[in-house]
Amino acid sequence: MDELLDCAPCGFISFGTDGTVLDVNTTLLEILDTTRDDVIGKSFESLLTVSSRIFYQTHFFPLLRMQSRAEEIFLTMRTGTPPGDVAMLANVAARAAGNGDVYDCVLMRLRERRKWEDEILRAKRSAEEANRAKSGLISMMSHDLRTPLGAISGYCDLLTMGIRGEMNEAQLADIERIKKSSDYLLSLIDDVLSFARLNAGQIDNLSIQSLTADFVLSRTEILMGTKIEQAGVEYHRENCDTAVSMLADPDRLQQILLNLLTNAVKFTPRGGTISVRCEVAGDRTCIHVTDTGVGIAQDQLERIFEPFVQATGTSTSARGPQKGFGLGLAISRELARRMNGDLTATSTVGAGSTFTLCLRA
Amino acid sequence: MAESDVLRRNNVKVFGSDTSQPMMFAHGFGCDQNMWRFITPAFSDDYKIVVFDYVGSGKSDLAAYNPQRYSSLDGYADDVLDIVHALDLNNLIFVGHSVSSMIGALAAIREPDRFSQLILIGPSPRYINDPPYVGGFERADIEGLLETMEKNYIGWANYLAPAIMKNPERPELAAELTESFCSTDPVIARRFAEATFFSDNRNDLPRVGVPSLILQCSDDLIAPFAVGDYMHANLSHSTLHVLSATGHCPHMSHPEETIRAIKSYLAETVGTPVESTSV
Repeated sequence: MDELLDCAPCGFISFGTDGTVLDVNTTLLEILDTTRDDVIGKSFESLLTVSSRIFYQTHFFPLLRMQSRAEEIFLTMRTGTPPGDVAMLANVAARAAGNGDVYDCVLMRLRERRKWEDEILRAKRSAEEANRAKSGLISMMSHDLRTPLGAISGYCDLLTMGIRGEMNEAQLADIERIKKSSDYLLSLIDDVLSFARLNAGQIDNLSIQSLTADFVLSRTEILMGTKIEQAGVEYHRENCDTAVSMLADPDRLQQILLNLLTNAVKFTPRGGTISVRCEVAGDRTCIHVTDTGVGIAQDQLERIFEPFVQATGTSTSARGPQKGFGLGLAISRELARRMNGDLTATSTVGAGSTFTLCLRA
Repeated sequence: MAESDVLRRNNVKVFGSDTSQPMMFAHGFGCDQNMWRFITPAFSDDYKIVVFDYVGSGKSDLAAYNPQRYSSLDGYADDVLDIVHALDLNNLIFVGHSVSSMIGALAAIREPDRFSQLILIGPSPRYINDPPYVGGFERADIEGLLETMEKNYIGWANYLAPAIMKNPERPELAAELTESFCSTDPVIARRFAEATFFSDNRNDLPRVGVPSLILQCSDDLIAPFAVGDYMHANLSHSTLHVLSATGHCPHMSHPEETIRAIKSYLAETVGTPVESTSV
């Protein structure tokens, strides 16, 4: 072996396509506390710890065979005395030789870096665990809050039906207010629950299927019809017929569209317009929801997709003070991304906003 | 699920002789259908070739990943049967590498009439030792593998994934990641590793009625001789063939020998009554 390579401050080893070691430098022999005779002719795999041998067979070797190179591979190698292992970072490239390729592999020993990486992984696991616990707690609390709210709402219905006796106008109006407040609280809890589930990775069970724009919008319009009418805004849609399709989970897509249309109604003054337009662009289908509402300032456009954030100042609701936790758009964007799509927004203050949901066609 | 959805979900590719007997190649844990590139050309003149990626591997639809479905090998067998139904495959020769051997066996148990032969490369019904059964590993070894995978994802996926998320208009970033490493999602890769290495399908072996060829490598850490012998003893109508190839990926390290063994078995078993043999 070349003297420079032999004494280089990193390990060097070359092996054939069947893994047989052809050459090794002194530095690596010293790191592994072994001799040249114990390495030459053996398989490269045999120098690795058991877990790294599995990784070699399942990832490293296939990668080498498929693209003739691999970079920054973390491996642990066995050492002689005392028996133990050393962490290495490997870069490998194939070189054409007489009877096939030879793989040249440079191995950098990881000491301090390994400790830091271990620390990062421990911190990552700990953060993930804490996040799961937090989401679990929120989820449990939300469930516990839903149950009494269901009872409140149900008893309101029973009282309104006169099951406990005839009620006068004022009493009915009070019950109606209790019922509305209860429903509103329920919608807030549903948002928190959805957000907690997304964070806890519990909304992985998506049923992705091909859906027509007409189908998904018709479902949503049925649920939104009364709200739009009561808000006194004009609604129309264009180019969203059965010829336009997208790949999505039907319930999650409806959840996103309901959120967008509810926001549009909330921020569009009486006499304004909400329009929905579909557009096919390459392998994407986009649904644009445009309102003629108060608009959102440019510096708020990305922030509104963050959880627990609502646009401030210019985006005051057309129907009084803003309500909610500011979770709807965060949930909607996350759902869109889980379905290989995205949700974005453009806006002009005073003129209105357009929210664009793009999914795979 | 519609046929086109299944084919898209599993990134199914069909080529070769369209009217001939179908031959499906199923990749193992760690990579994707590209693993078969050294093998399929030898069969494409005489067979209809079907290759695919399991959900979570290669260029499959990651959005279709369902943790419940894929928490055991049965979910992956569902993928295989979904493809079989979508393409209406019959008289199918199923070639599975490593964990796909058991996945194919589970699919063949459920719908034996669809399958003609199973070619099992480096199969194992259980990877962890359970004395007197020898699987080859202790649980700590598999936990070490999970840690090694995690360390490698620090270097690859974790630094590239945010870049991809923030640059959807630059698909080449995603392509770079996909081509630089077969398992693109560290969470899914870990779950697939757990579903694979913590599985125990020993009780399923006697239920496999479809004839099979077990290709056993010499000096294979992941599927040692004891495992190959166990498979042969418990799989009725199985043929055990020991390759001179070492390692766990003979279809990549020694494709010619692997092709010869498969062709020889297929030639010998055409129209012959099934019985267990050892070669």
